[in-house]
This record gives sequence, structure tokens and C-alpha cells, in this order.
Amino acid sequence: MKGLNRFAILVACATFFLIIAGALVTSHDAGLATEDWPLSNGQVFPKMVGNLFWEHGHRMVATTVGMLTIALLIYIFVKEKRRWVRRLGVFALLAVVAQGLLGGLTVKLLLPLPVSTAHATLAQLFFCITVSLAVFTSRSWIEARPLAHEEKGTLPLRYLCTTALVTIFLQLIIGATLRHSATWDQHLPTELILAHIGGALAVVIALGTATLTVMRRYKGEIFLTRPAMLAMVLLVVQLFLGLAAYMTRLASPNDPQPLNPMIGITVAHVACGALVFVTTIVLTLRTFKVLPASGSALELSRQTSGVVGT
Amino acid sequence: MNKQTKVWLVLSIALSLLALASACSTKTPDTNTPGDTATAAPYSGPTGTVSGVISYEGTPPAPKKIDTAADPVCGQKNPNLATDDTVVKDGKLANTFVYIKDGTVEGGKKVSEYAWSTPTTAVQLDQNGCHYVPHVLGVQVNQKITITNSDATQHNIHPTPKNNPEWNQTQPNGAAPIEKSFNRAEILIPVKCNQHPWMKAYIGVMRTPFFAVSSADGTFEIKGVPPGKYTVVAWREGGVNGTEKTLEVTVPASGAAKADFAFGGAATTSLTPSLKMMPAIEFPMMH
Repeated sequence: MKGLNRFAILVACATFFLIIAGALVTSHDAGLATEDWPLSNGQVFPKMVGNLFWEHGHRMVATTVGMLTIALLIYIFVKEKRRWVRRLGVFALLAVVAQGLLGGLTVKLLLPLPVSTAHATLAQLFFCITVSLAVFTSRSWIEARPLAHEEKGTLPLRYLCTTALVTIFLQLIIGATLRHSATWDQHLPTELILAHIGGALAVVIALGTATLTVMRRYKGEIFLTRPAMLAMVLLVVQLFLGLAAYMTRLASPNDPQPLNPMIGITVAHVACGALVFVTTIVLTLRTFKVLPASGSALELSRQTSGVVGT
Repeated sequence: MNKQTKVWLVLSIALSLLALASACSTKTPDTNTPGDTATAAPYSGPTGTVSGVISYEGTPPAPKKIDTAADPVCGQKNPNLATDDTVVKDGKLANTFVYIKDGTVEGGKKVSEYAWSTPTTAVQLDQNGCHYVPHVLGVQVNQKITITNSDATQHNIHPTPKNNPEWNQTQPNGAAPIEKSFNRAEILIPVKCNQHPWMKAYIGVMRTPFFAVSSADGTFEIKGVPPGKYTVVAWREGGVNGTEKTLEVTVPASGAAKADFAFGGAATTSLTPSLKMMPAIEFPMMH
């Protein structure tokens, strides 16, 4: 089981790298560096010059992640007895295939906003799945036991975390729409910038509330406090990165080409956003694991905890 | 805490939904382009010219050096590659697209009510030194554009029109010329290369042949213009959709009309006595 968990972590890390590679394509305006898909100019290994380096590099990383996902699925079917984990593995494969096809559509349809946004959003969802698989196969998940029931009359923490998660996901969609609505040499639409700022405020409130609640109710439980604190720290970093990304992006249309400060900071903002999302996923999953709301949830928790194949 | 938490929860959900709704709002596309209506008969009769000089007032922005490290071929062939959005020599501005937007030919017919045949000769657009040459060009609707690649690297030509179909085509070094045309009038279509993001060109697609691009000394001449009263527009890149200046001119039979334009700084459009000035149309600058 340890091997499976490590492999799931590897796939999750590779997915994170893939998100960074995809963000680099967008920031370099390299999505249409070739009219071709899935090959680049009819070649598997074209000359990686100009923006083709970023676009074809992204495709190569994506192919690697696809292969790793297939390998992970096989590994899961060999080692894992929990049926729902197996199903999640199948779902991961379906998601990565769909993501590849969406990537192809973005090229063939010349980057229409809805398709590009869907591609960026599915990337985050796929990352969510791979991280979830890493969580579900971890020792800490399997060995975790339910904590005491939450006080009656209080809002369950799991709902607070779910709210934060949904808010972050909506914010990621707005961010993806904003990012793909204008290339580096165009100004970003004001209404989308305002929407993204509003979304950031909503995330601060939702995640802040969830984190504060964790710290108040479960101070000594690192199983919950660690992801909660990490998510908050990442959120603070993300807010600064967002501000910096906005400043560099504001100047970008006057630049002769996409410049490294704008590219670096914007990509870091995308990557950090993904980390805030998955850290909140870890927190949410863990609250569902150790904070059963009812007898039935407690039963479910028992069922999901102990079935190990090794 | 409970009540407060609920309030915060409702607030955060409402905020994010509001943000999402705002993100999904649509924008009406800009349709302010020359018409495409078919015309009845060709014009036959005396013609004159519209000519002038495009000036740049104030200090033009210095060209910005382009980093070609991503493709060494570009740097080898064109080591001093720089932006060419504002090419000014002795106060005269090159690459300004000047065209007759509208007007009435002597006799009362609108210029758009005549048929203007499409030239059979193709207009050239070359990629040379990782740079589009020319930077600004004009064609008539359905006139062929021959695109060549003179570089030892590959390019991709990617026009991003609003009224014509968008396309993106890779052209490896040594590949045959690409022939394209646009079937609707449009001012002006940006052309980029997603391989080399600094490469930009602009194509003006006109229904009439009444357009010209200012040369290195800032001069332009539009030939074969029927006598009449016209609105002449000078367009240059910059801002969201470029910057335009407008003048009204009267072209006498077999004579010449002058239309001088000025851009930059606190430029005002100069007029000859035969010209009547119209308020300049300034598109919002984002700089």
C-alpha cells in the first residue's frame, strides 16, 4: 500500500507540473504555435524553437501524465480492494483522456474561450482527483479514527470546508475565464477582473471561516490543523501573487513580447491557486473522514478506512 | 459564532455566485466596419487623387528591443530586431493606413453604391528576419494575399479578424507560399505569429480601392478617386482597436485633394483650405 501511495503522490506531483506547463503555454501565447494536433507540424519530436517549445513541451508532459495515470489505474486494480477507490482511478483515467481531447479542441478551434476555460478547469479537477487518490491511499487516512461528534447546534465543519472548496473552485473558473479572455498584448476585461477580485474576497471569507473553526474546535488535531493552516498560508501567498500578477499583466500590452516577470508571476499565481484548491480538498476530505455527522456517516467512515490490499 | 458563521457563509456564497454571474456576462461585438453590400455598376468617369503627409508630433516612443533568444535563427538574421509600431523619421510617420470611409460621388451616388472590381494581382506579405514585411498593408475584399517565409525557421500566420473567418497556418522554412484572401471588409485585421509573439502585422480589407499606407517619409496617395466629397480616415496601431483621425475632403474632377494628418503627443490634424475638419475620433488609449 505504501508503494501505491507513493505512486499516487508521484502522479499528483506530475499533474501539478503539468498545470505549470499549461500555464506557461498560455502566458507565452503559445497555444497555437502549431496548427497541428496531436502531432506538432506532423512530427512527434519537432524542432523545439520559439513558442513551439512551450506548446509541444506541454503536450509531452501531458502524455507522460496520461501514461502515469494508466499505470496508476493498473496499480490500483492490483493492490487496492476498496471498490470506490478503484472507481476513482477509472474516473482519473477518463478525466485525463477528456482533458487531452479538450486540449486538441483548443488547438483545432483556435482557442475559443469556453473550450480554453473548460480545459483549464478540468486540469484543476484532474489534479483534485489525483490528490484525492494520494489521500485515500495514505496511511494517515487509513489509520485515522473518528473524532468526537461536533457540538449540537454548531455548523458542521465539513459543511464549512465544502463551502470553501466550492468557492475556491468557482474562483478558479473565473480565473481561467479571465486568463483566457485576452492574450498578453490585450487588456484584460474589467468586469472579469472585478469578478475575480470579488471571488478572492469570497475565498478569504469562506476559507478563513473554515480554518478559524478548525483551529478553535480541533486545536491539537494535526490531521485537520495542518492542511487548514497550509491552505491559509498558501492563500495569503496567493493574494500577493494575484496583486503582482495584475500589476505585471497591466503593463504587458505595452511590452514588445511576453516578458519573464509577467510570465513567472502569472504562472506562479495559477500554480499557487491549484495548491490552495488541493490543500482545501485534503482538509475537506479529512473532515468527512474524522467528523462523522451521524450514525450512518460513522458507519461509512468505518467502511472506508480499513480495507487494505497489501 | 454560529450565527456569525452562517452570515459569513451566506455572504461568501453570494459573493462567489455574483462573481461567476459577472464572469459569464457577454459583450456585444464591434460591428463598426465598412459595409459589404453588393453594388450595381462600376464607376466610369474622371478621377482625382487624395494625398497627404502623416506627421508625428512630439517625441515618438523609442523602439523596444526584442529578445530573440527563443529562436536563435531570428537573432542571427536580425540582431537588432525592435518594435516597429511607431516608425518616425524627421517627424513623419510610416505605416499609417489611410482610406476613404464613405462619401458621395459627384452626381449624388454614394461611393459604396458602385461596383469596384477586385485586382487580380496578389499583395505580398513576407516573413523576413522574424518580422512581417510590410507591417501594414491593404487589400480589397477577395484579393489574394501571397504569404512567404524568407527565414530559415518556421512561422505560423495567425490573423485574428472580427468579421472574417479566423485561421492559423504553419509555414515551415522553405515551404511554398500560402495564398489567402478575406471575403468581408474589415479595418484592420491584426496578424500575429504564435511562434514568435513579437511578430505583428495589420491588414486593411476594403471594398473599394481607395486606400494607401504611408511610406517611410510619411506620404501617401490614393489614386483613381471619383470627384466628390469624402470622409478620409487615417488609422494607426495602438490602443484597443487602433487610433483613428478623420477628415472630410472634396476631390475636384481630375484634381487633387490634400489630407494631412498628425498623430502623437498633442497632435492636431492640419487642414488645407479646401478641407473641412471633422472632430477626430480617438479610441480610448489603454497606455
